[in-house]
Amino acid sequence: MSASRDIVESGPARIGTRAAPARPRFAWLNSSKGLGLVLIMPALLLVIAFFLAPVILTGVFAFTNMSTATGITGGAYQISPGALRVLTDRYGMGELAERLGQPTYVVDEQGLAALAEMEIDQDIIDGLKRRLGETFSSRRDFERVIRDLPTRPNTRTVKRISDAFSRSLANARFASAGALMSAAEAIDPELTDDEKAALREATYTGWSWTTDNFRRLITSPQTMRILFNTIFFVAATLLIFNTGFAMLLAIATHYIPDRPAGIFRIIWFLPRISPAVIYVLLWKWLAWDTGFLSAFLDNFGIRPRNWMLDSAFNAWVFVILINGFVGASMGMLIFASAIKAIPQSLFHAASVDGAYRWQQIRHIILPHLKWPILFVTCYQTLSLLTSIEQTLLSTDGGPGGATEIWSLAIYHTALNNYAGNLQYGYGAAMALVLVVIGIVLSLLYLRLFNYRALIIKPRIEH
Amino acid sequence: MTGHLKTWPIILALSILSAPLVLMYAYLFIDTVTNSPPGSFIPNEFTLEHWAFLWHTPPGRPSIWRVTFNSLLFAASTSLLVIVVSSMAGYVLSRLNVPARGFFLAGVMVLHAFPAITLIVAIFLVLQMIGLYNTLIGVILVKAAIDMPLGIWLMKGFYDTVPWEIEMAGIQDGASRFTVWRKLVLPQVKPGIFALWLFAFLLGWSEFILPQVLAPSGDVQVLSVYLASLIADDNNFDMALFKSVGLFYIAPVLILFFVFQNYLMNIYGGGSKG
Amino acid sequence: MRILLDKFSKSFGAVKVIEDMTLEIKDGEMLALLGPSGCGKSTTLFAICGIHKVTGGRIYFGDRDMTDLPSQERNVGVVFQSYALYPHMNVAENIAFPLRIRNLPGAEIKRLVDEMADLVHIGNLLDRRPAELSGGQQQRVALARALVRRPNVLLLDEPLANLDAKLRLEMRSEIRRIQLETGITAILVTHDQVEAMSMCDRIAIMNAGQIIQIATPKEMYRNPRTTFVAGFLGNPPIAFVEAEARDGMLAVKNADIRLPVPPDAVTPPDGTPVIIGIRPENLGPEGDAIIRGRVSFIETQGRENLYDIKLENGSVLRSIQRVRDDISLDDEVEWRVRSDRLFVFAENGERL
Repeated sequence: MSASRDIVESGPARIGTRAAPARPRFAWLNSSKGLGLVLIMPALLLVIAFFLAPVILTGVFAFTNMSTATGITGGAYQISPGALRVLTDRYGMGELAERLGQPTYVVDEQGLAALAEMEIDQDIIDGLKRRLGETFSSRRDFERVIRDLPTRPNTRTVKRISDAFSRSLANARFASAGALMSAAEAIDPELTDDEKAALREATYTGWSWTTDNFRRLITSPQTMRILFNTIFFVAATLLIFNTGFAMLLAIATHYIPDRPAGIFRIIWFLPRISPAVIYVLLWKWLAWDTGFLSAFLDNFGIRPRNWMLDSAFNAWVFVILINGFVGASMGMLIFASAIKAIPQSLFHAASVDGAYRWQQIRHIILPHLKWPILFVTCYQTLSLLTSIEQTLLSTDGGPGGATEIWSLAIYHTALNNYAGNLQYGYGAAMALVLVVIGIVLSLLYLRLFNYRALIIKPRIEH
Repeated sequence: MTGHLKTWPIILALSILSAPLVLMYAYLFIDTVTNSPPGSFIPNEFTLEHWAFLWHTPPGRPSIWRVTFNSLLFAASTSLLVIVVSSMAGYVLSRLNVPARGFFLAGVMVLHAFPAITLIVAIFLVLQMIGLYNTLIGVILVKAAIDMPLGIWLMKGFYDTVPWEIEMAGIQDGASRFTVWRKLVLPQVKPGIFALWLFAFLLGWSEFILPQVLAPSGDVQVLSVYLASLIADDNNFDMALFKSVGLFYIAPVLILFFVFQNYLMNIYGGGSKG
Repeated sequence: MRILLDKFSKSFGAVKVIEDMTLEIKDGEMLALLGPSGCGKSTTLFAICGIHKVTGGRIYFGDRDMTDLPSQERNVGVVFQSYALYPHMNVAENIAFPLRIRNLPGAEIKRLVDEMADLVHIGNLLDRRPAELSGGQQQRVALARALVRRPNVLLLDEPLANLDAKLRLEMRSEIRRIQLETGITAILVTHDQVEAMSMCDRIAIMNAGQIIQIATPKEMYRNPRTTFVAGFLGNPPIAFVEAEARDGMLAVKNADIRLPVPPDAVTPPDGTPVIIGIRPENLGPEGDAIIRGRVSFIETQGRENLYDIKLENGSVLRSIQRVRDDISLDDEVEWRVRSDRLFVFAENGERL
């Protein structure tokens, strides 16, 4: 008390006003807008770089024929045997192809310079100089000309000379279409525009724009099969495990004491927290021909085999089990907390009424799970539709493509397959289908779960 | 709990259903330290031979320690990036009066539901074009970006629980909005940041498909890719070795999970993908 | 420091919460903003400290226009209903926070914190965390933190609402003591008329975004401008009956009661409907006008009793008197009022 008295009596200590703090050095850090922009920038950049750009690029790549063969950067022009074959077969320009493919001999300054370098007799060089600009389409014709020179070189020298003037285009690479054309015109000055265009297209090694991917996607019988597999996989896993079995776990653990219930929840959580590689390895141990299942069934006279891959049916069983065990835990947690939120009085009232357990489940628990079930179904549909790790690591789509689902097909088309020819463009077209479904479904969730309720106006206004 | 109803039939039924899982995880441990006679699953000798991979690097493969270091680096970097970026952006969405805030919020929700894995083809090509293919940096950035929407969403939730009055008091005390965030609000959400860090770390540690596609080889291999390539190698089939490497790989996950269960269950329940 | 709100308005979107409000708080004065929840008193407070941007009008501290300055530059001390102590800092760090922000030297901070802790009597708690303090102690810390940077004005937002009844009584006088000792200009926002009357120099009573009346507590109690003010102040509350002017008297509707017009009121023309307000302490055995009714309820308050009297038209008046044993429920009584203490209001609630 006495201390505070002092404040009143000794004038200066009486509370007057102290200066406000100096304006901060970075004033823009003190407004919602300025600070908000700074704080959200890293997230925004990551979103642009790894969500927005890839979404757009998936669309862009889907309209190209990019593959391992074409590369992903621009290409060059190469008169390869393959390109000549295309020129013959697709454009019906067999004659042109033949001309380009054959070695040609052109008497030019470059060749003459080479001769001088090789210390060939100056008379020969002078003799050839007179025929500067002439072209010969066969070695024989050209060599005859050389032999007819007054100096009469020996056979070995003739060969060396003709080699120096060989101007074959076969397997030559040109960085640009212009370079290709001037080289081709050197051999055949009378190329028509049609021939030029055909040559340009046939010899291009890079990727180009195309809508073929979508045509192929629609017409390929493989597409239908993968589509069917995917729908079956999603529906079966969702129904049996992600909602059905999850609900069973949630309800069952609700009816037993907390301690065992906790243990069971942890057990069923193991698949979710385990890295996919090791989790699937455990299933392989269970299913492989030297694994647990085989050894166990051997006692009953059943031949050991790789249960995971020996038939399409078994493969599906395992794919659904493996994915389902992972998916069940999310539903289990959400359903369990929804059941926990049901007022205890409802249960007591019901048991007084003599309702049996299943009636409790039917009339009290299930009605309360409506929204959670909708949520889990929505969420897991998208997850399953795009899930890849477990299936890739277990059956890898086998046996014989029986369990090839859409996401896995993308992986096999564009990212990794045994043939080694990765079709990026086609894979992107397949991915685009999932991207579109993903965007549509995520927007749908936004509507479904009414995000407006989440937006509360900030209470500090500047 | 309805006391007069018997619970043991339920426990029994659950035990039978759970038996395959228990068996698998039990043998994950048992098989790494024992040998069993062929065709039997009852071990008859104790051995540490399956753990030889720790000090003996098989030809043609990177050292397990190199790979472990890569995994650690990968998980630590992604989780760090996720918590830094999310704790910044989450605050904006929760508290700051910025234009188009509703749009950002909706965007985060859509991104959170959106399956980023569908973008992997485009990301693969982009990383090749900009020269980040087969580098840890590339795959770290991608993984962090993919985990970020969930992180932002969770952080927004944590910030929402901090009383507005603390921020109001802060600005009245003369602190700038930045200082209020840094000195007054961040300390309140520390447990949330820790939970998110842990969660993101475990996600990074477990990730397989991204490093498999974007950084598959040699020096940058992480444990999951290493183990998968070990298993995929038909010439050296050794289940006990796979399991030992697997146990080595999963042990940190299990330990962290059991120790910090309560932190994690909420996040898992709140909608991680899978 | 003198605070002036000049034609201040505030809307949230299309909703106008405050319109053209002018209010002056004198230097060193403690003023209560009193009103029911939603009347705009907290909005006014948030505008003064800068948490809300004003929609119209100006705000002056002294002669300085503060309207467009951010909170940080206004130097306003605020004590929130929830105290808003920083949970991760101990008491000393909480109080020191505003000084740290101002980059004061450590020794100076320590001196000011100790001085402030002494003023609010929490010198022994400096090492504790807020979670380890009682509500009253937290409040003292909040006060110390608000005062330590010597603010232009101290704002108290329902500071006693979270305390239990006994502590509330204690803190009421404590806050007033500290305000008087520091001589700071203070604004108390409250919905509790007892707090407003017992702690403040003046009360500004608000309803639906408008200030209805500004006066000292005594003046406001004695001389309410509207039925709203009369009804808001006083516990047990005032009772109203409908009446009509007739022959220079006020005749209660549907009852055989005629009351004289109080001397300070204008006699309304015959036939004018009016509302008469009678405070419970003015109805009893003494007075110059007679009121008859039946005792419908008796509430024992210890020293005094509260009687409800039902008139023949069904309306209920209240009387607070010393405990008397001669009256029981359902008795017909004939009590009196002091006509000079009656309030007469027009139908729209304005005092005549």
